[in-house]
This record gives sequence, C-alpha cells and structure tokens, in this order.
Amino acid sequence: MAKMHTVRDLNIDIPKEARRLADEMLSDLEKSKRPVLEAVKTSLDNSIYNSKVGYLTPGDKVVRTELNVSSVQKLARVVFILEILLNNLLIEAVNTKRELYYMCKGLIKSNKRLKPLDFEDQDESDAIIDFIGDMLKVYREELNCFANDRGGQTYSQQLVVTESLMDGTKATIDLSTLGTAPYQPKNKPQSLKLKAKKKIDFALVIESEGTAGTLQSMGFTKRNNCILMGAGGVPSNGVRGWCKLIEEELDVPIYFFGDLDAYTLQNIFRTLKAGSAASLIRNQHFSAPSVRFLGLLPEDVKKYDLFTYPVKESDPAEMRSLKKAKDALEGDPFFLDKKNKNLADILRWLMKEKIRCEQQSLFSVNPKDPIMMEKILLEKIKRGAYV
Amino acid sequence: MSKITKSSTAEYFAKNLQQVGFSSPLKAVLTTLKEAVDNSLDACEQAGILPELIVEISKVGTGSSKNTDLIKVTVEDNGPGIDPDDLAKVFGEYLASSKFGKGQCSRGQQGIGISAATTWAQLTNAKGAFVTTKKENMRKAVSAQVDVDIKSNTGVLRKKETIDWDKKSGVRCEFVLDGRIQLNGDGGLITYLEGTVLVNPHLTLEYKLLDNEKVRVERVTNEVPDMPEATLPHPHTFKLGEFITHAHLFGKVSMEKFLRTGFSRISDDAIKNLKAKGLSKGLLDKSLTAVKEDEFKKVFQVVQDTELMAPSTRSVINVGEEALSKSIARLGEIDFFSVVTRKPAICDFKPVAVEVALARFKNRNLEADAPVQLLRFANRVPLQFDKSGCAITWAIESVNWKTYGLVQPKESLPIGPYVFAVSIVSPFIKFKNASKETVDASEDLVEEIRRALIQAGQKLSRHIRKETKEADLERKLAHIEQFGPILVESLIKITKSNSSRQKKAEEGLMKLLGRDSKEAIADLDLATSRLKDLHAKEAKKRGEDPDAAPAAGDAPPHPETPPAETDLFGEPLAAKKKAGKGSKKQASKSK
Repeated sequence: MAKMHTVRDLNIDIPKEARRLADEMLSDLEKSKRPVLEAVKTSLDNSIYNSKVGYLTPGDKVVRTELNVSSVQKLARVVFILEILLNNLLIEAVNTKRELYYMCKGLIKSNKRLKPLDFEDQDESDAIIDFIGDMLKVYREELNCFANDRGGQTYSQQLVVTESLMDGTKATIDLSTLGTAPYQPKNKPQSLKLKAKKKIDFALVIESEGTAGTLQSMGFTKRNNCILMGAGGVPSNGVRGWCKLIEEELDVPIYFFGDLDAYTLQNIFRTLKAGSAASLIRNQHFSAPSVRFLGLLPEDVKKYDLFTYPVKESDPAEMRSLKKAKDALEGDPFFLDKKNKNLADILRWLMKEKIRCEQQSLFSVNPKDPIMMEKILLEKIKRGAYV
Repeated sequence: MSKITKSSTAEYFAKNLQQVGFSSPLKAVLTTLKEAVDNSLDACEQAGILPELIVEISKVGTGSSKNTDLIKVTVEDNGPGIDPDDLAKVFGEYLASSKFGKGQCSRGQQGIGISAATTWAQLTNAKGAFVTTKKENMRKAVSAQVDVDIKSNTGVLRKKETIDWDKKSGVRCEFVLDGRIQLNGDGGLITYLEGTVLVNPHLTLEYKLLDNEKVRVERVTNEVPDMPEATLPHPHTFKLGEFITHAHLFGKVSMEKFLRTGFSRISDDAIKNLKAKGLSKGLLDKSLTAVKEDEFKKVFQVVQDTELMAPSTRSVINVGEEALSKSIARLGEIDFFSVVTRKPAICDFKPVAVEVALARFKNRNLEADAPVQLLRFANRVPLQFDKSGCAITWAIESVNWKTYGLVQPKESLPIGPYVFAVSIVSPFIKFKNASKETVDASEDLVEEIRRALIQAGQKLSRHIRKETKEADLERKLAHIEQFGPILVESLIKITKSNSSRQKKAEEGLMKLLGRDSKEAIADLDLATSRLKDLHAKEAKKRGEDPDAAPAAGDAPPHPETPPAETDLFGEPLAAKKKAGKGSKKQASKSK
C-alpha cells in the first residue's frame, strides 16, 4: 500500500513524541508530582495577524492542564483517545471525528471500568481530539483524523482534478463531464492535483451552496471560464484546504460572494481568507489569503437598490450580530489590521445602518432577467468592485 | 343636561365589587375567607386574645351564575365578640370601621371588605351573612342574618334570635355564595391559609376544606402581638400642605411647642440640630398664629433636611425573627431557612418594617426548575394576585441571587425548591388597588425590601455553600476513584511499561489527589464552621444557649413544631408528596 499523502513535511515523529509525553506523565506520577500538559491557546486573544503572512497564527499563550481532582477526567480522556489515535497511526487507519466518537463509546460501553470516561455528545470527544492536536502542535489530519466532506461543491468546464488513491493508483476527474452534478472536494486536498484544460479567468466562492447550484444550472460555467464553488456556510476544513489548493496550483483570482452581515464577514469570509482562532495551528494550510470579498458591499445596496432587512433591536439573535461586529472591530486582529481597513469599514457601516442584506437579493434586481445575478457579479469583477 | 344623581357607597361597591377582590368566582371565595379571617385576627389582637380560628369551606350545591358552585364559607373565632347592636354596621354598612385613619398596622383599614363579602353573597344567593356573636358579658349568643340595604348603605338584621353557644366569646360568620374553589397555586385557599399561619405565630388554626381531612395547626408562641399604638406622626412623613394644616390644630402655641408635641422624634437634641441647620430661635419662639406661609416652608425644609431618629418602632409591628423561625416550621419539614427582621425605616415618608424568611423545605415546591414559591404579605395579610407588579417581586428580581448560590434567570425570580416569604408592615401601605393585591413599587420601598432580602440571602448562602462544598467533596472523591486508575492504565499501555511502574504511579496519583481532597475537606470544614458561627450568633440574639444552637436554621428549634413525619396538614409527608402532584396540576389548570 502506498504511503498516505501528508499535508506538510512534519518535523516531529508523532508516536515518539506522544510516548515521550506519556512517559513524562508517568514519571511525574511515580514521583507524586503533578503532570502538566500544555497546548496552544486557540482563541482570538492569542491570534496574531500579519497581512504579509496572510493568516492567523498563534501567539505564545498556552493552556496548562495540571493534574488535580478537577482535571483528572480530562487527562484520563486525553490519554485514552491518544492511545486510539496512536494505534490508527501505527496501522495507517483513518477515521472521522464522528467515527472516533462512536469508537470511544463502543470501547467504553464494553468495559464497565471505563464507564466514567463516557462522552455525552460528540462535542466532548471533539474537544479532546482538538486538544491533542494543539498539544502536539500537529494537524488533526496528521493524527489520521479527518473531517466529514461538507461544503465546497464545485463546477467548472475547464478544471481537471487528479486524485492519488491509497492503493497508489490515480483517478482523473474532468469536471466538464459531470453534467449538472457538482464535484465534491475531498477532505484530503493534499491528495489532489489540479490542472486547467483552458485558461481559467477566476474562481468564485458563493456563501450558499444552493445559490452556486442555481448559477450553474442557469449556465454560469458555460458562459465563463471559471471555477464556481458553494462554501456551504462556514467553510469546513475540506473547503478551506480546497481553496488553498486552487490558490496554490492555479494562478487565478478567487472571489467570495455572500450576505452583507457581520456573521458572513467574520465567520465565513475571514475563516476562508485567514483561518480561524480555533484552528490556529492549521491555518497555514487551511486558508487562502488571496481571496477577495466581492460582496455584498454597502455600495451594492445603493447601486442596485437591493432589498435590506432592518436589524430588529428587540430580537436578541439579530442584536447578537451587531454585537459580533463590535467585538470583531475590538478584538479580531484580522479586522484590526490596517490592510483590512476596508473590511472593517463594512462592519462599521453595518453597525451604523443596523441593516443586513442577503446574497439572494441580487435575484430581485431585475425580475425579468433570470441571470441578473451573474451579470452583476461579472460586472463587479470587471469593475474591480471588491475588497 | 342630564340629571345628576347621587348614589350610596353601597350602590357604588355593589356595582364595582371587582375593585375589592370579587372579580371572579375563584377570587370571590378567597376574598370572603380573607376578609372574615382578617377581621377575626384584628379583633383578637385588639382584645389581647390568642386567636383560635375554625375555618370550613364546602360545596353545598350549584351556583346561580354560570359555571359556579354554591360555596359555604364559615369562619369562627374566639375573639371578644361584636355587640349585637353593631352587627348590622359591621357586616352590612360600607366604610363603617373602627380602624379607619388610625395610623395603625391593622389588617383591615377602611371597612369595605366584609360588607363587600355580604353584598356578594346577597347578590348571588339572595342572602347576606349569617352571623353569631357572643360577648363575654352575654349569657346567650345572638344570631342573625345581615343583609346590605344597597340604596341606603345600611345593614339590615333579619331572623335575629338568641341561642345557646358554649363559647366564652367570639363571632361565627357564614357566607353562602356563588364561587369556585382553588386549593393550591398562587391564588389558592391553602396558600392563603399557610401564609396566614406563617406570619401569625400566635394563631391556632383549624380548617376543613371540601372533603379533605380536618387540619389543625397549633400556635408556636403564646404572645399576642402588641397592637401598634397610634403614635404621633413622624415629621418626615409629612408634606408641606399637611404640615401647615396640622399646625392649625394647635392654636396659639409656639413653633417649638408645636414641633415637640405635634410630632414624634422631636427631642431636645433634635431642636438643637434644627437650630444648627439654621432655624432661628426667633422663629422657634414665634406663635403659630403669627407664622407666615414662607416661614412655615422654611421650618418644614429645615426639618426635612435634619436627620431625626427613625419613626417610632411602636407604630409598626413585626413578627420577629424568633417567632418567624418557629412559625415557618409549621409549613412542612425544613432543610434550612434564614429569617431577617429589619429595623423600621422610612420609605416614602412612612414607617415600614420589612421581614423576610427564605426556606427550603424537604417536600414542598420540589420542581427543581420552577421559580421559588413567593409568599407576599402586607400588614400580615397574604397577597396572592398580580405578583408581577408588586414592589416585593421587583425587589426580589433586583437581587443577584447567583451570589448566594441560587440559579436565577436574568431579572426574574430565582429558581429552586425554596419558599420566599416577604412581609411588609406599615400603617400606610400604598396598594395599587382597593382589593389590596399589590404593593405599589416606589424606589425607597423596593430598596428597603431589597436590603432585607440581601441580608437573608447572605445567611442562606452559608447553608447553600455548605451543601455545595459537601457535593464538591463527594464529586472529588468519586473522581479520584474513577479516573485515576484509567489514566495510569492508559499511560502504561502507551509507554509499554511494566506493572511495578503502574503500582508506583498509582500510589503517587493517590497521594496527589488525596492532597486535593484534603483541601476540599478543609473547605467544607470552613463552610460548616461559618454556618455554626451564624447559628450561634442568632441563638445569642434570641437569648438561647449558643452551644445548643447548631440545629437552628437547619431544623426547627421549637418543641411545639410538628413531628418530622407529618406536615401542616397533619398528613404523612410521603402521602402529601403524591397528592402534591395532583394539586399542582389543579393549580396550573385553574391558571
């Protein structure tokens, strides 16, 4: 069997490092000394953004977990899952987080003594897996744990993907042969190679997968030499890695188009462009810093007379989006960077106007023209109306 | 122009009974009971008699109005009795009261309530109140039916007769009226009776509701509360206009004499302070008849700006922490409680005394995620409706109960199996309506109640903290036992180590975690000793032996409290728990 493709050249031997940590913990215990585990603090207050680097990187804050009666449960869980992951690495088995959750549940249920470790829901086991990654400073993928394939449905008449399979063979997928069906990028972008049959002018990432599908069915990819992709909300690791791959392997401008609100700007666009605080140690390979924000922009609302919604101050959910904008302006290093001043200005505008605008509002600009959205998007790209 | 007619007070109230608590069949029964019990308790207290009340409420048929039953409400007391000549006035005439404007903290004030009950019975069942009365000096009792002559606002006696009654003195009144019965929940009859029991430790109450077993609750104190005397008014309770009018009653005396004799708390020291604040001797010596309006204003302002002693404690009455502690145990078996009686204070120019009792019962209000059961009292009368607009509710919601270990959604009542009883007593409680259901929420009053609640919360938190620490210790010990061996076992597997390392690591782990549990034990000891200190302090305050105190606050200290197995209803608690579920359902249905 061929060796698995790695995300990067790893300079540590994970099993060796894990065994060293376990041995250290054991030695501490033998000496009645409290073992301590340290992991990178994955939060905005430990995120650094440098526009030259292009993505969020970790600061030097760490989360220390020292063994005591309150943390003994967490440490027991960490070591328990670490053992499973190490075995996976040894036999080169791969699992999703959800599979690991059920594997743990099965092992725990079959052994009464392990019962206290039981997880109430997947969030609990996910948090432990993330902690292990942050502790060893390795990607989840390097622990052979992959996310589910979600989001990123892609359409193109020019793009050809070559996938290296586990058995050493290769599969070639010409996206133009898929009809109206999308290509679903895998959660292991490192096993993919991209080629353009013909020059590709741009890649367009739409926030909503449904809207990307609609544009495609109306002939967007027939009329344009492009890659059209639906992010499917907050981009998954797969989508982020896929965008990164497009950025690295094809020299094409990438644009993102979504709603005009704080959530889209911070949670979706910023994650795609510069990564997230939760994945600080993985952002290098899971963000595409060249992605540009095509809209919706405040100026579009005026120019195309778009329908907007007022943010109801009486609605706590809507008010949260305003608070989110405020928090982003105060504490998100991405928006605090002067290179991203124009993006921060959009947040300020949202707070001032207290309105939001959906990406789908472009469909209503001219009720007689079914491809109005396409026309506007192309016109915006041509005009350079993006941030 | 249409003709202007004049109607009698009785006519007004007969048409507007909803304003005085008769707005629904449910409230009609409760209000009738309430008015009769209030009158009995007031009468007993005024005569210095320890009250013993017998209450019976039964369904006797179908009501004349739609969806109502015909309900008989009977209240019998051992009070001084009513002079037969006054029967018609008391039960049949509006605004005929012995308590009106006296500046006392009696339950009844205006003389509306019981006449309204008679009117309701008369309107729905064509018969007013059936009353039996006997004074100590009477050989036989007098019984009669009292109706309200609505046109003239006078009471009319019918079927008057003398009968034998083996009671030294007392009044028994009976109303047969259209109504409906709700036993539990905010507006329930049992809730009312329990509340009345709580704030009247000197009351022995026997009651039978519908077909339920008869319940008897014994008094826990033999002291009849001293009925507050109508003392001189406190100058800070006055407004300028009242001040000037009040002065006119004193004729040709000096300003100083007027201040000294017309008000309470104007002592030699107070006069000195008034002078220091700029009141000239000349003005103080000036005869009232010569004082000009602007001079009155000047005097008034100086008096308001000068700090005076709090109003006379004699003008308000409180149950007292000790009596409240004993009384609360009559509502069921208690886990722990805390009571606070605040010194009287001035709120909105009126003396007010606030008392708070917070308790957790073993078998009450057991729905863990439901808000606490709130019992509100004004002048020792339970308030059961319109909770949300009441000063007491506002004050509770304004306290951050999380500090004291309770769960509390934002700006709401805290959550948990607790009973919060808050009582305010004042000669001039400002109600939002004539039916006395809600206390008007002024800033001063809410703040005063809030302070009492905070004090009670602090005491309560000692109990809760002890419990939290106990749970903490238990959890920590369980964690050590559960996770320790798994942790070591997994480490051994990863490092492929031998069993001697495993043994050594397990020993080391136990040592480490043992240190942690020792800390938890120390925390618990600290919480326990702080609680003990609180008990000792409270016992000392009550004049008890502090060494015998640890039980106070956790369990009722009084020998007369019901045994642990039975509750207020004399029923085994286990049985009540079962019944409680049904009755809660009934309460929610009636909502």
